[in-house]
Amino acid sequence: MSRHTVFFLFLVAIAITWSSAPSMAHSGDGYGGGFVAGFTHPIVGWDHVAAMVAVGLWGAFLGSPAIWALPIVFPLVMAFGAVIGIAELPLPAVETGIALSAVVLGLMIVFAVRPPLWVAAIIVGAFAIFHGYAHGTELPSTVNAFAYAVGFVIATGLLHLIGIGFGVPAKWPAGKLAVRSAGGLISLAGIGFLTGMI
Amino acid sequence: MRIFWWCFGLVFTLGAVPARAHSPMPGAEGFYIGLIHPFSTPSQALLMFGLGLLLGSFDTKKVRWLLGAFVLATFIGLFLGPGSNQLEAAMFALAFFACAWSALIPGKLLPIAVMLPVIGGLLIGMVSVPDPGPTTDRVITMTGSMLGANIGLLYIWGIIIVVKERYTWKWVEIAFRVVAAWLGAISLLMLALQFAASDVAQISAVEAISVVLHERL
Repeated sequence: MSRHTVFFLFLVAIAITWSSAPSMAHSGDGYGGGFVAGFTHPIVGWDHVAAMVAVGLWGAFLGSPAIWALPIVFPLVMAFGAVIGIAELPLPAVETGIALSAVVLGLMIVFAVRPPLWVAAIIVGAFAIFHGYAHGTELPSTVNAFAYAVGFVIATGLLHLIGIGFGVPAKWPAGKLAVRSAGGLISLAGIGFLTGMI
Repeated sequence: MRIFWWCFGLVFTLGAVPARAHSPMPGAEGFYIGLIHPFSTPSQALLMFGLGLLLGSFDTKKVRWLLGAFVLATFIGLFLGPGSNQLEAAMFALAFFACAWSALIPGKLLPIAVMLPVIGGLLIGMVSVPDPGPTTDRVITMTGSMLGANIGLLYIWGIIIVVKERYTWKWVEIAFRVVAAWLGAISLLMLALQFAASDVAQISAVEAISVVLHERL
């Protein structure tokens, strides 16, 4: 492709970009709108992101079988929390619980705590209740509940996966230091959520 | 030579007329509707995938019992129906149990696990009974549903087994358990929404089947 052709195509692309108008093809409701609302819900809340990544990070740090057990336990227990939220049963200090999840899970990584698998599962599961409750209280009012549920469960799982991905270098000494530092950052962020600074 | 084939193709394309080789086969539409019916609603689709994951977690030699139980239960379910909207909640509940089973205790407790495809088959059969109409049409649609449910389950299980045998890495097995956990979570949420969204009294899977059995027998 000659230089002139590239330049011409570049000008055409700019002209098209400038002349484009907002797309009004769809209103954002239905399955698509529900999925996007559900998918973005855990991602746009930094407290959720920190805790989800921490779960994956801690799982990777603990190694097998925790690396897969924790991301399996979390969504199932989180769904129970969502059920409590949908049923409008009272759960005290939800926001505090969510913020504490980042603090505690971050500290577990910082201090390289290696409890038995069942203890780790209980810790993660307990915090999952609070996260699920927060999702559940917002779930019934969305455009499409099924698409919302699919979106937010997938987003939660992908955040775990990101945490596991970051935690893989924990196999090497330098990586272990990096992962523990990341745990420290998550814990500090949790303190920020807890005190309202973030 | 290339231009000749271009022109040849163009003439054929432009000269094409609507195909009128045959008229629709009587009942074909109902059959196809029945065929996809087991995957037509979130509750049924989640239940089918949940059962597929459950079957996929067991040793292939033992799965014949689960598959056989599902075939028989679907057949009986078609005769027990028609199901009501109340069965939606029962299907979400059973989908959750099937997914949780394959995520937490995969391939274990076969004698108890066989109850899940039995109840699942009954539920899928009961909700697949078409609205009142000519008997022939209803039978054709129900045959489609019967085949759709069983072939669908066979395919889901088969795909899981093929992936597991083709890729023998440990994480493949884990990935299926994670997917089961995700689907289980979605099922539980949908079950909760069934209760939240409607004032209609919801009943469990066992209650739903026992009510129908009581009415029929």
